Amino acid sequence: MSRASLQSLARGKLLPAVLGLAGLVVVFSPSSAAPASPVDRTLRLEARSFEYSPSVLTVNRGDRVTLEVVALDVVHGVHIDGLGVEVTADPGQTARLSFVADRAGAFTIRCNVTCGPLHPFMLGRLSVAPSDTPWRVVLLAGLAVLFGARLPPPRSPVRGASAGHLAP
Amino acid sequence: MALGLLGRETAARIAVGVAGLGLPVALFGAWQWVHASQPVTLHARMSEVGGWAPEVLRVEAGRPLELRLISDDVVHGFAIGQSQVSPIDLLPGQVVTTTLTFDAPGSYSYYCTRWCGPNHWRMRGVIEVTGPEVNTAAPSPPLYEVLGIDLDAPHPAAVVPQTRPSAARGAQLGLILPEDLTSRDAYASRSPAETWRALRAMPVTETLTDDQVWDLVAWIWRTQASEAALQQGAELFAQNCAACHGEGGSGDGVMASSVVAGTMGPVEATGPADFTDASRALGASPALLHGKISRGGMGTGMPYWGPILTEEEIWILTDYLWTFQFEE
Amino acid sequence: MTRYELTRSPGVRRLLQSRWPQLTVQAVALAGLALVIASALLGTPVGNRNFAIVMVWIAWWAALMLVAVPLLGRTWCSICPLPLPGEWLQRGAVLGPRGRGFGLGLRWPKRLRNLWLQNGAFVLVALFSLPVLTQPRLTGLLLAGLVLLAIALSLVFERRAFCRYVCPVGGFIGLYAQAAPIEVRVRDATLCAAHATKTCYTGSEKGYGCPWQVYPGALNANTYCGVCMECLRTCPYDNVAVNLRPFGADLSEVKGRGLDETFKAVLLLGSGLAYSGVLLGAWSTARLAAANIGSIDWLVYAAGFLAFVLVLVPAFLLLALRAGLWLSGSRLDILRAVRAFSPALIPLGLSLWIAFSLSFLFPNISYIFPVMSDPLNLGWNLLGTAGLGWTPYGPALVPLLTVGVVLVGLAWTSRRISATAESLGGRAGLALPLLTAAFVMAAGALWLLVF
Repeated sequence: MSRASLQSLARGKLLPAVLGLAGLVVVFSPSSAAPASPVDRTLRLEARSFEYSPSVLTVNRGDRVTLEVVALDVVHGVHIDGLGVEVTADPGQTARLSFVADRAGAFTIRCNVTCGPLHPFMLGRLSVAPSDTPWRVVLLAGLAVLFGARLPPPRSPVRGASAGHLAP
Repeated sequence: MALGLLGRETAARIAVGVAGLGLPVALFGAWQWVHASQPVTLHARMSEVGGWAPEVLRVEAGRPLELRLISDDVVHGFAIGQSQVSPIDLLPGQVVTTTLTFDAPGSYSYYCTRWCGPNHWRMRGVIEVTGPEVNTAAPSPPLYEVLGIDLDAPHPAAVVPQTRPSAARGAQLGLILPEDLTSRDAYASRSPAETWRALRAMPVTETLTDDQVWDLVAWIWRTQASEAALQQGAELFAQNCAACHGEGGSGDGVMASSVVAGTMGPVEATGPADFTDASRALGASPALLHGKISRGGMGTGMPYWGPILTEEEIWILTDYLWTFQFEE
Repeated sequence: MTRYELTRSPGVRRLLQSRWPQLTVQAVALAGLALVIASALLGTPVGNRNFAIVMVWIAWWAALMLVAVPLLGRTWCSICPLPLPGEWLQRGAVLGPRGRGFGLGLRWPKRLRNLWLQNGAFVLVALFSLPVLTQPRLTGLLLAGLVLLAIALSLVFERRAFCRYVCPVGGFIGLYAQAAPIEVRVRDATLCAAHATKTCYTGSEKGYGCPWQVYPGALNANTYCGVCMECLRTCPYDNVAVNLRPFGADLSEVKGRGLDETFKAVLLLGSGLAYSGVLLGAWSTARLAAANIGSIDWLVYAAGFLAFVLVLVPAFLLLALRAGLWLSGSRLDILRAVRAFSPALIPLGLSLWIAFSLSFLFPNISYIFPVMSDPLNLGWNLLGTAGLGWTPYGPALVPLLTVGVVLVGLAWTSRRISATAESLGGRAGLALPLLTAAFVMAAGALWLLVF
């Protein structure tokens, strides 16, 4: 194939379609990673204004997780986005939050009890392995670059010399 | 034409004047008016930034006191000391209104019911209820005073059990013990170590080991409180004590290091008491514990619960504390 | 490129030329600002229950970032209440014109006629933002301070000096307005060339000369046009039009781009990344340091932030550009290349800020309802919603939207990079390192926001 025809191929409708298909493959192809067998996990989560310790929790998919939430200074809470579970913890009374991590991915842990000025930024992360979503997203980003870079640029008169001029 | 223009401009000026100046002035006025009238606005703040504001409320006996409660920082709670009225949780920024009526004149303590920092227990205020004096009997002196116990003196137990004493094992020994060891008064006025010594000296326990005599002590202690009372004691402990003393009673609560850091005066900074430490715990009588809880720790960071908990509640707590030493 | 002129319809033109609709919306905005400042100074110090914090940093910010700027360009600036009191005093009229107003009417100093002051203001605000965002009193003081500053500047300098050269949000809005599908342009430039008095800039009895110090006849980008409609009123030929146009039509414009604009684009991209990491990332160390103004931690954070947005990110992009120039064997002057390529960063930067805003908006939008029922925290319940608690909205949706928005921004930026490379000679390899740099930054942003 000549260079010119390759280029015209790239700029035609074929490449975007190919990239679109590749994107669908990246998004919907099933995960190949073998998940670890689920276990019962008890994790201690300390809550202090305005952070969680540890700030990232890692469990495996299917694990039956119990979080022991220990509030260190004032009343805090734990709410896990996406799993929709939450609990409130008073200092001196460890609160227990039990759930099954049935979906892989990253879930934000938030404080759901106002605990001071930085309360909306009291965030942590629950990472449920195995999750290849980061890799898929990276691949999609690569496809996005290819898609954007190879699209024909907008047809426009050469700009820069005159003031804004309208097409009739 | 010019007049028409002037008319439009004036109308426009009035419109923006109302929006930009009139509105804020009106809002400020509304805010002032609300705050100058009933209900009184009571702000809950962490002790470190001032505590309750205003700290002192005044009302006449029999007249309703309307309160608008709002927390300015973290979760607090509002309750009246020694009262059966349910505590009111105060979520930050949310206004809660309540009405209180006091029949008898006097000074009523109000306090915070949700842990809001190391100085949570200092978050207290007073409601002065005025009115015609009611003749009440003078309160009787607390038991530790009657017994002449020095609350601040160390109270080590000379002998400690090798294994954790069990009330069930003590019951199984099948002994009949004299009233002057098992009565409520006897229980309250003697430490477990003293009771142990008294039991050890009795002929009927000669064949028992030291630990078995401890089991008898555990049995005496356990029979002082019902299951329901112990449950209530556990709740009181969890809400009021565990933050410093630890959920397991070992003195390692989340606030423990703050207590050590905040200890004032000439007292030694030892931190919250460890109820699992046998040599200390078994040398303290219930009367001493009751006194400590009521009067507080005089600079050690142990709060004084006298105005807050009723006598019954303090005794229930005292009866619960032994579960850190003795098994059922 | 096709454009559709909205003011083609006489009804629309009359609506935009009339001062009453605009004034009505401005009065509402002014009332909103008054309520915001009142509640910031009088209401509860608890941020998420304070009308000011919630309505400004959640509601207004979301409306600005998700709707106003991407779709309507700088239209917010036409109704923004901050400069209004100053402008009315300066003009001596609310409708107008009616002769002289108050003030000295000095010209803005020549050395400051660029974006550098705004760039600096933006960086300052960014460093001190966390306490301002979360404490009502500080938000109130900031807004009141900006109003007073705008009044002062209006009484000393001519036109909208605050808006054009000082407002910290203005630089941000102006830059990203270039991506919007709406614009104000003249229909026929030759008509302007023949018009001697240029009333669009000097003013007439129908309206004021452009408060934004723009000559509408030469307007070719949305960056500095505040959509205030004065030029529609003053042009005797009705030669100024409001057009609908494709997204990002300004991004291929290179004329008139100074280093200040270029740097702004880089600054906003870098700070978008920094904000995502510091405010919404899982690690709290930087976040807590950012809030603890004046402490050693904060100084370390400030140094790190400044190094990142002022040095690291620009250096990274510059390196990518140099690599591209070297790869393609181009002899293009680096400064010219920088000026040419910086508009290409705008879609990615905007998408990062949108993604950041989405990540913050959805979990916190529920605060809007109780706050509207009790704006001064006196126990009112105007709309019956005062007792509503917090609940996150669409938690499963947020990662999807975030990723989607950033991918769209990345694709668009890639397209702009590639198109710019073409227009500069089109040699192979020129765009490649910059495309890689964009990819790295987008991937980094996604990692911070979603994982």
